[in-house]
Amino acid sequence: MAMNTYIAFTCQVAWGLATRLLTFCFRNLFRRKVRTALCVIGVTLATAFVITIGVTTMRYTTVIKEMNVLFNGQVMVASKDAIVIQAIPIGGSMLPQSYTEERLLGIAGVEKTVPVLFVTPVGASGISQLVPVNFSIGIRVEDWKALLGPTPLKGNVGHLPSNESGNEIVAGISIADQYSWTVGSELKINGYSLNVSGILDTKLAILARSIIMPLELAQNIYNYKKSVNIITVKPAKGYSQQNLAQAIEQNVTYVNALTEEERNDIIQPVLAQIEAWSLDIQSVIVLMSLILVMTVTIMSVSERRRDFATLDAIGAPMSYVFRAVLVEASLIGVFGGVLGIVLGSVFALALASFYTSIPISQFFPGAFDIVPPLYMVEILVAVIGVCCIGGIIPAVNAARMRIAEVLRAEY
Amino acid sequence: MRIRAESLTRIYNMGTSKIIAVDNVNFDVSEEEFTAIVGRSGSGKSTLLNLIGLNDRPSSGKLLINNIDAFGLSNRELRKIRLRRMGFVFQTFNLFPVLSSVENVELPMALAGKSRETQREEAVRLLDAVGLGNRLTHRPKQLSMGEMQRVAIARALANDPEIVIADEPTGELDSKTAKEIIALLSDIHRTEKKTVIVATHDERVVEIVDTVYLIEDGKLTLETRQLQ
Repeated sequence: MAMNTYIAFTCQVAWGLATRLLTFCFRNLFRRKVRTALCVIGVTLATAFVITIGVTTMRYTTVIKEMNVLFNGQVMVASKDAIVIQAIPIGGSMLPQSYTEERLLGIAGVEKTVPVLFVTPVGASGISQLVPVNFSIGIRVEDWKALLGPTPLKGNVGHLPSNESGNEIVAGISIADQYSWTVGSELKINGYSLNVSGILDTKLAILARSIIMPLELAQNIYNYKKSVNIITVKPAKGYSQQNLAQAIEQNVTYVNALTEEERNDIIQPVLAQIEAWSLDIQSVIVLMSLILVMTVTIMSVSERRRDFATLDAIGAPMSYVFRAVLVEASLIGVFGGVLGIVLGSVFALALASFYTSIPISQFFPGAFDIVPPLYMVEILVAVIGVCCIGGIIPAVNAARMRIAEVLRAEY
Repeated sequence: MRIRAESLTRIYNMGTSKIIAVDNVNFDVSEEEFTAIVGRSGSGKSTLLNLIGLNDRPSSGKLLINNIDAFGLSNRELRKIRLRRMGFVFQTFNLFPVLSSVENVELPMALAGKSRETQREEAVRLLDAVGLGNRLTHRPKQLSMGEMQRVAIARALANDPEIVIADEPTGELDSKTAKEIIALLSDIHRTEKKTVIVATHDERVVEIVDTVYLIEDGKLTLETRQLQ
């Protein structure tokens, strides 16, 4: 019983001391409103930039990485002069569909071929856009499963186009939301009237931003008659992708055959470099905010030398003074971090909207997919940690202040 | 609390030259004694008071508190003594500007681990005793100089210390307020039975104390002693 009372009393005293310390720190920060506000703004902007850069990089590297999900375990065949980013061919010559398929099917180890026409939008200068805002994908109706897998239609409404359906297409959920397409909506591409027969309910960015249609219809619309720009090849049992790719390149001399590993090998260094750049920029920003917080805290401690020395003179433990400075620096981190995360998330959405031409309001419902909550928490913890680190040197200085020295220095 | 100094010396190294701020000082302050250390500005009063208040360590010599060599103790132990057994009043008050009067007085009690209720009760009682019962929630900048010094005195009494050390407590005050503060210190000595040491050059203080030491160029000499 006595032990319980002692523990309760100790907790009460500790809680009282903690709340008093917090009040002391809050008031000290509030006392220097302009400086605190400027410092919080600095940390906010730094956090916002870290979030924006991190999220944008993460978003695009994820999109590139997830492209491989579409045709995993298969060999991608494209013309020799095409660049293949994961599953997407960029530029290069077209492949004659039937002729190439026939030659591929003649190679031992080829179980199945799926010809695909990928069309990315072309910018004003005639160059494929760096960040494509949408895709048109033409694929034979019987091969749709190879591309879509188990992807459902939104609300289980509508159907996938059939060979007989003529001008039906399915649209990804993001592009459908952008243009307010629903099942039955009509759209025009290159003068062709098309009907939306279903909306793909998917989180895969590439599918969410695609218009998928029967291959022949795509070839007609985009004027690539009997041509495709990629053919996926499924290896037969017992054949490795690598051996099959070698055989394909030996037998069909005008193509490149890329295994999943090779496709990853092409993109991995680029992704690694993008991620390293992003990390470098974020590190510089974090370092700058560390210097900012440290400078402001040093100034604040130097201005309040007498207060800290008085705390020592009245017998406050060094740890109390140390904590007081650290808590102040951390509070700047908390305010700056929270504001920065909100601002950074809005920046990231605005940037996504800018690159995709989708109104920003359409990003808000899925904001947590773009800026994952766990990432927000990680950044907040990192910002508070950085501010804490920034406060360590000033805190040590404050804890070492002695009234005799301070008063002597003042006179 | 009995305080005795033996050959207490404090030397400051200023580049190549040495300044002897407190030079081989010996004194003896007995329990409940009211002592004044008088000297001109720069004579070493504040340095000596900082040594007595355990805010500084001497270059040589001893300070015996109830026959224990204080400077043989660790910084942590000295801090504990400052917190629980000593109260320090500064010439410039040194109140925390972001805390109200009552919070300033509560702080040493909070640091000493007293409960919130005790802190508040005691702080209100002390502020009442120094005549500031109606200024509890005022921050230092809302108080006059005299009121600030009263809050500082209340804070010095917060943990019921055995000794109150005041460094030029009337130095920043006008003559009327200075008189009130002197009367207050005298009251504390008389009613609370505290040992009080005041560094001053205010002659009015000299008139009411038991013992007067004179300090000049760091050397201390006993001027008068009239213990009751």
